[in-house]
Amino acid sequence: MNTPAMLSQRPIEDPDLAPGSGPVMRTNWQLFRRRFFRHKMALVSIAVLAVLMVACYGAPWLAPYKQGAQNLLNSDLGPSTKHWFGTDDLGRDQLSEVMYAGRISLTIGLAVAALSTIVGVTVGAVAAYFGGATDQSLSALTDLFLILPDLALLAVAVLIFSQSYTSIVVVLAALGWMYMARIVRAQVLSLKEKEFVEAARASGASTTRILIRHIIPNCVGTIMVNATLSIALAISTEATLSFLGFGVQPPQNSWGRMLSDAEAYANSSSRFYLVLFPGLMLLLTVLAVNFLGDALRDALDPQSRR
Amino acid sequence: MTAGSVLSVRHLSVDFKTDDGTVHAVDDVSFDLAPSETLGIVGESGSGKSVTSLAILGLLPTTATVTGTVIFDGENLIGRSDKQLQPIRGERIAMIFQDALTALNPVHRVGDQIAEAIAVHHHTSRNELRTRAVDLLDVVGIPHPIERADDYPHQFSGGMRQRAMIAMAIANEPDVLIADEPTTALDVTIQAQVLDVLERIQERTRTAIMLITHDLGIVAGIAGRVLVMYAGRQAELGTVEDIFYRPCHPYTQGLLASLPRLDRRATGDRLHRIKGQPPSLVFRPSGCAFHPRCPVSDRDGLCATTVPETRVVDGDHVSACHFATTLGLRQEHE
Amino acid sequence: MLRYLARRMLGSIPVLLVASFITFWLIRRAIDPLAKYRHIRDAEAIMAQQRKALGLNHPVIVQWWSWLTHFVRGDWGTSARTSDAVSGMIQHALWPSVQLLFWATIASVLVALMLGTYSAVKQYSAGDYFFTGLSYLGIAMPDFFFALLAIGALVTWPAVHFHLNEPILYSIGLHTEGESGLSLDYFRHLALPVLTLTFGSVASWSRFHRSAMLDVLNADYVRTARAKGVPRRQVIMRHAFRNALIPFTTVTALDTAFLISGVIVTEKIFSISGMGQAFLTALGAGDAPFLLAWFVITSVAVIAMNLLTDVAYVALDPRIRLS
Repeated sequence: MNTPAMLSQRPIEDPDLAPGSGPVMRTNWQLFRRRFFRHKMALVSIAVLAVLMVACYGAPWLAPYKQGAQNLLNSDLGPSTKHWFGTDDLGRDQLSEVMYAGRISLTIGLAVAALSTIVGVTVGAVAAYFGGATDQSLSALTDLFLILPDLALLAVAVLIFSQSYTSIVVVLAALGWMYMARIVRAQVLSLKEKEFVEAARASGASTTRILIRHIIPNCVGTIMVNATLSIALAISTEATLSFLGFGVQPPQNSWGRMLSDAEAYANSSSRFYLVLFPGLMLLLTVLAVNFLGDALRDALDPQSRR
Repeated sequence: MTAGSVLSVRHLSVDFKTDDGTVHAVDDVSFDLAPSETLGIVGESGSGKSVTSLAILGLLPTTATVTGTVIFDGENLIGRSDKQLQPIRGERIAMIFQDALTALNPVHRVGDQIAEAIAVHHHTSRNELRTRAVDLLDVVGIPHPIERADDYPHQFSGGMRQRAMIAMAIANEPDVLIADEPTTALDVTIQAQVLDVLERIQERTRTAIMLITHDLGIVAGIAGRVLVMYAGRQAELGTVEDIFYRPCHPYTQGLLASLPRLDRRATGDRLHRIKGQPPSLVFRPSGCAFHPRCPVSDRDGLCATTVPETRVVDGDHVSACHFATTLGLRQEHE
Repeated sequence: MLRYLARRMLGSIPVLLVASFITFWLIRRAIDPLAKYRHIRDAEAIMAQQRKALGLNHPVIVQWWSWLTHFVRGDWGTSARTSDAVSGMIQHALWPSVQLLFWATIASVLVALMLGTYSAVKQYSAGDYFFTGLSYLGIAMPDFFFALLAIGALVTWPAVHFHLNEPILYSIGLHTEGESGLSLDYFRHLALPVLTLTFGSVASWSRFHRSAMLDVLNADYVRTARAKGVPRRQVIMRHAFRNALIPFTTVTALDTAFLISGVIVTEKIFSISGMGQAFLTALGAGDAPFLLAWFVITSVAVIAMNLLTDVAYVALDPRIRLS
């Protein structure tokens, strides 16, 4: 039976048919824009993320107090007009701390996402395109890491290095690329069979050229969506690692670390703000990135339902 | 309402709201179904024939707006809620769907699904239900019905599955059986067998059958009367002889002319086809929906401005064409 | 069915072996087995001696093999931290974690199925939007933040606000001193940790199930059921839900390893002495023998869960069972 969706297809242009019976065809970019801007939450998210990034990366100029500036006379104050997020037991202004810590949290998230995307796309595309042993080893590898608890593995891996900022990024990316590789592999596998690839090969294009100029551009949509979502995952994972003590070490600070310090105060009703604000930042960031990713996914792939 | 008809459809229209506009899937369709008769509803994909049948049982999605009346047993079925329709569905009016593989639940046994059709309308014991289910499988010609009743749909062949669906539909001996393209997904030989089953059932239970298909050949073999639909509107309605021998609508004539015929001289020409494509149901041609493709239409005159209403050609034979009578007269002279 | 299970179990062995080798290699690199000897007198001599004794001069794969052969024979070594038998420590630590995972899995599955079904059946209703919003929140919220919020909201605030002597829900351990068994006290302790473990899974599983139900509700066989006159509730439960369960099992399998990570965080915050807490202590102290055993046990647990869901999947879908 024909579904209403099928019935509303635009007519194929037929010279016998009376002219002027169909609507104007829209370009891809316009379709994308129209679908994307329908997502109000995504637009709000972009705004929120913009504010966050400006505040955090602009901390050296925008923060009301210097990072780590202690003021024992003003310790343990709740949120007030002078200290929007309150102060801790050493009198450090929490708003400033959150802004500075945000730089690390956001940067690690972005760096990990970028690194794992690059590696994942390359490996996934190559494995899918060449098939055989490369592909099988990739699949085996990915399945393997699904068995081991990621947090535990990360915690051990981070200990191998000096627990510096860079090593955290590398370790997180080392575990993160596999997810992207899997997705890209699936996409490339389906694209490989399409006619335009055969046509390119028939006209003598080299493998690299085919991969770079034909296949990967068609995966861009999926890659973008998953890269975005992986940012959220990376921020979350770094936060958890730091919370457990295996992530960012002092004097560097991240939102996760702030929460680790604040853990003791969860039981206190007067100092709960120390827990609330860094956590809220984490929540907001991840939420916003997720909305963005979802909107991208809807805009790029009309088939996916809400 | 025509006296004695079991189902009376009047001015049935179905619109769907979509992102691209309103789809006029069915537009002002009217017909009667007499007890024990077989009415064939013929049309291309998109002609609205399936939507019509779904509308009768209220099985359309909520995006559909249905207007008009469908009188069954003195009551209008249109606009009624699921709860109100429940006693009628499967009990007085039953439906057979096109693809039995997707229309049967893959995780329930076939016997159980047939039994369910009975159980939701009648209080029956488990044993009795099982016996009836096995009996029904036997009636539709499935060998080893006792064992087969415990099988799952995917374990049946295509033809057998369709028979099982028929068994499910006739379980409560309904007054009306709506068969929506019951043989489209099947091989020609199996098609014949399934149609045979339908005919036998009708002889046995005197059920009225509404057979929906795009295949004129099937209609010729099994139907008493035929409704031809195009772009959601009814083109022509009459007995099988009326439609096949005295068609009074250019679309019907085109359809018949495009049938490969063994009895005509092979002239070496290609098969006749109706020029053009079926129109979009969102942006329909003004006036008669068929006029852009019609060999007898006056392009910018009446056909383009006015939707032709159904007019009588001869007795119960009606056609929705401005030139219906002319076409009718032409036939007489041939 | 049994043959299928046996085949899958055999197939998991190579995976386990490779996984254990990788963890062995990582732990060797991360934890220096000679750490305690580095700063004492005559360090060089003693270290050389120890190196020989511990077999550290051999290639990693040989070391791993030696450890493995001991392990499968039941010799799990002694803890580098406490010198207790590792097997005993693991046994001790398993029980509390198993309890947490048990309650969390049951709760997650039940709640996710209920919410997903409700949201699908009442699509676009206020309730649907509400739960969808909650899901987004649940997916975005880091579990440790949720736990701390829960403690603040459900333990600290009521205690202060209502001037209670005892909190309504507890945030430490699984039992109060001296209590045991399935008492009310037990559930008051369980509530928050299980909630922490559950909310993330519920958020993503319920969305998945909602979408699976929506798919199924549009299926042809649901239309057939309605055409037969099957009442709405029966259509939803016997036809739609029953089919939507099939893809649901695959989603639950994927999350087992994540649940274990969640257990680590949960046990830390709620001071439960299970596998999670034990992991943190061992890692902090550089207790390599314990960690090696820990990884093997958790991998086995994950594989077992996967096998279970596989079995459920096959049991639920006759098309697979009977082919």
